[in-house]
Amino acid sequence: MSITSKIAAALVLSAFVFSTGFAAKPTLTVYTYDSFTSDWGPGPQIKKAFEETCNCTLALVGLEDGVSLLNRLKLEGKNTNADVVLGIDTNLTADARASGLFTKHQLPMTKSTLPQVWKDDTFLPYDYGYFAFVYNSELLKNPPTSLKDLVENDNGPTVLIQDPRTSTPGLGLLLWIKKVYGDKSDEAWKKLSPRIVTVSKGWSEAYGLFLKEEAEMVLSYTTSPAYHIIAEDDKRFAAAEFSEGHYQQIEVAGLVEASQQKALGRQFLSFMQDEKFQAIIPTTNWMYPAALAKTSLPEGFNELVQPATTLIFTEDSIEKNRKKWVNEWLEVMSE
Amino acid sequence: MHLTYPTRTGYWVLAILALAVLTPMLGLLVQTSLIGDNSNNLPFWQSSFIQRVIFFSLWQALLSAGLSILLALLVARALAHFGEFPFRGLLLRLFGLPLVVPSIVAVMGVVSVYGSNGWIPLGRSLYGLNGILLAHVFFNMPLAVRLLLPVWQSIPTHHWQMSEQLGLTRWQQWRHLEWQALRESLPGVSLLIFMLCLTSFAVVLTLGGGPKSTTLEVAIYQSLRFDFDPPRAVALALLQLGLCVLVAWASSLFHKLPDVEITLPNAQTNTQSTNRVLNSMIILVAVIFVSMPLVAMLIDSINGSIIDVIKQPKLWLSASLTLLIGLGASSLAVIAGWLLLDTSSDLAVLGRKRKASLIEMLGSIVYVVPPLVIGTGLFVLMAPYLNVFDWAIPVVIVINAMMGLPFVIRTLGPAMRQNKMRYQNLCASLALTKWQRFKTVEWPLLRKPVGLSSALVAAMAMGDLGVIALFGTPEITTLPLMLYHQLSAYLIPNAAVTAVFLLTFCLLIFWLLEKLIGGKSNVEY
Repeated sequence: MSITSKIAAALVLSAFVFSTGFAAKPTLTVYTYDSFTSDWGPGPQIKKAFEETCNCTLALVGLEDGVSLLNRLKLEGKNTNADVVLGIDTNLTADARASGLFTKHQLPMTKSTLPQVWKDDTFLPYDYGYFAFVYNSELLKNPPTSLKDLVENDNGPTVLIQDPRTSTPGLGLLLWIKKVYGDKSDEAWKKLSPRIVTVSKGWSEAYGLFLKEEAEMVLSYTTSPAYHIIAEDDKRFAAAEFSEGHYQQIEVAGLVEASQQKALGRQFLSFMQDEKFQAIIPTTNWMYPAALAKTSLPEGFNELVQPATTLIFTEDSIEKNRKKWVNEWLEVMSE
Repeated sequence: MHLTYPTRTGYWVLAILALAVLTPMLGLLVQTSLIGDNSNNLPFWQSSFIQRVIFFSLWQALLSAGLSILLALLVARALAHFGEFPFRGLLLRLFGLPLVVPSIVAVMGVVSVYGSNGWIPLGRSLYGLNGILLAHVFFNMPLAVRLLLPVWQSIPTHHWQMSEQLGLTRWQQWRHLEWQALRESLPGVSLLIFMLCLTSFAVVLTLGGGPKSTTLEVAIYQSLRFDFDPPRAVALALLQLGLCVLVAWASSLFHKLPDVEITLPNAQTNTQSTNRVLNSMIILVAVIFVSMPLVAMLIDSINGSIIDVIKQPKLWLSASLTLLIGLGASSLAVIAGWLLLDTSSDLAVLGRKRKASLIEMLGSIVYVVPPLVIGTGLFVLMAPYLNVFDWAIPVVIVINAMMGLPFVIRTLGPAMRQNKMRYQNLCASLALTKWQRFKTVEWPLLRKPVGLSSALVAAMAMGDLGVIALFGTPEITTLPLMLYHQLSAYLIPNAAVTAVFLLTFCLLIFWLLEKLIGGKSNVEY
């Protein structure tokens, strides 16, 4: 057992060192989701880049996902360690705003390259993407050209989707169908349901099953094929472009009201819109950076479908209807 | 000094357990009543959805557990009757592996075998009850075999001899010898497997085909995470606990503790088996069934860049953290389990068998309180006073130890009781102190089941993804979490390599723990 205790001691020591730092350098604590902080996410590069300029230590704390970020913050309330929260999306901003735990960023919003004008004085975007059905072009020759085509064609392709209760893309599809079908969403789900192979807990399960060819299409992002093009030099995968437009997800960060280091926090939020930060995003988070010129995107990103129409609900209508819509979905899908 | 009253330690363990489960729930309720804004919801039991969820949870868990136990009985019996089956030890260790496999990896493995491009393609019919049952039998049948096999060892040789002299048929042997011996362990083992199936989450959701296959565990997760409605989550968690108590009560009706066994059993494997062909067939099918998804993982990992994965220093750091959690949880669980069983086996010796089973049952059912609920509650309680990130690892260890306790109770319980029944009078007449007794009578005879239980708990804790993600991960993560990060970063082949690394690592630890703690003995577990 002595080895164990040595490891324990080492871990406790390292935790101590990580949490306190060596010198009087200030530490900026950023709560984010853990695929952001992982070795393959943007975290490590961003930490390095920011620490070069800030004379501070950037502590990135990874939690399960955007939903747990916000829940954690609510549980901690005013005693939170977080200075900045990075990684909640436009489906959660209303809830986050209502919590009163964030303060205004007071930064200019001129750098945004989002397709829409960004006017939020509390949250700043760092990346965005569009949900899409991804397919293997060698196996599916005639992908549907619209959401209606996918939903209503009884001989259409089989699909893998995620559960809106546990997954961001899952909620995205729910909203997408709501946007296109409105009050008739129930019927749309009924129509699509026989071709849904399964509804997985998270994106990873569904995408893994898709690569095992369990279904012809998987709910993912328009940017997913970029991974295969850039990292694997594999051009078989594509996202089907739907004529109604694609539902959009914007990921944002905000400054915590209880933070003792608001100036440093603002410096980070400003850095977030800097080219240095933004250029890291495409090939680590596999999303579109929210403040980077199209011309600066890596090669593979130019081959992706560009949705003609951006679909997105206002945060208020999501806040008002989210639970109701999910319960409706549960009822339809459980029949 | 004759035993007149039982050791008290078990009551202490139960009290601490109750505290560890109920305080976080209470904390969660108090804290969130301060934030609360969820008063407008319907009471949950009025929702038809929740009623369906309760029905489905119980139905799939009963079916999965029943099937796993039934098949495990066949396999364990075949293994018991065929003691010299080649590579038997290795096979038994293989049977400890599914417990380690993180659910997402198991789903991929099952799909590789039974998916539309699999070796035994079931096509779309995989998604639904079929898939759930397949995955649950894959997870639990091998575990049940490990837990039930010792029962055959406990049947004294002279019983077998007698049964042969009497010319009993195989059915009569089963009815009068094996079944009677099984009645002690079977209800407990079934309850454990039932609990494992009841709390299954990602497997049920993903292979179940959709929200039709929602378990209570999913509903709890939804309440706590998606709806952020802790009171509802706590209510559902208590409901799940209540249902489990009912099932435990029902299973206890079939429970029968054996009468005091005075003769020393000769632990040699019994009988010249008359039907080796049938037994080998059963064993072979079971081995193929268990190893297929594991082999599929191995094949997937060949596509990954093995060298790249292995040479990351982080992999090894993660491995040591994973090991720390595994060993920490298993030591804690074994100590708590021993103390609890000390009391319950005393009670059994005193003839208070119902109370003895009640204590073991209470110690086991904490398993169905979702770690997410305990973890969040603990977080709420600790956050005002401590920096929770520094405490993440101890908390993960404690929660995993609590989840591991039922495994210890199942593996160590029957052995401890038999030990007490056999040696109580002897120890009393020699006036051995507690320590002397532990050193000379208990440890040498019980180290084998202690070895198995610590290996099982370590394996379970090492494969656990859940609790650590809740607390926020600083620089070092566990292997299952690392695997999950690779999957989120599209690195699916590399994730397969990590999965195989995790499995190999766990197999090694499993083997070491069984070897080092279990020591050499002719009693096989």
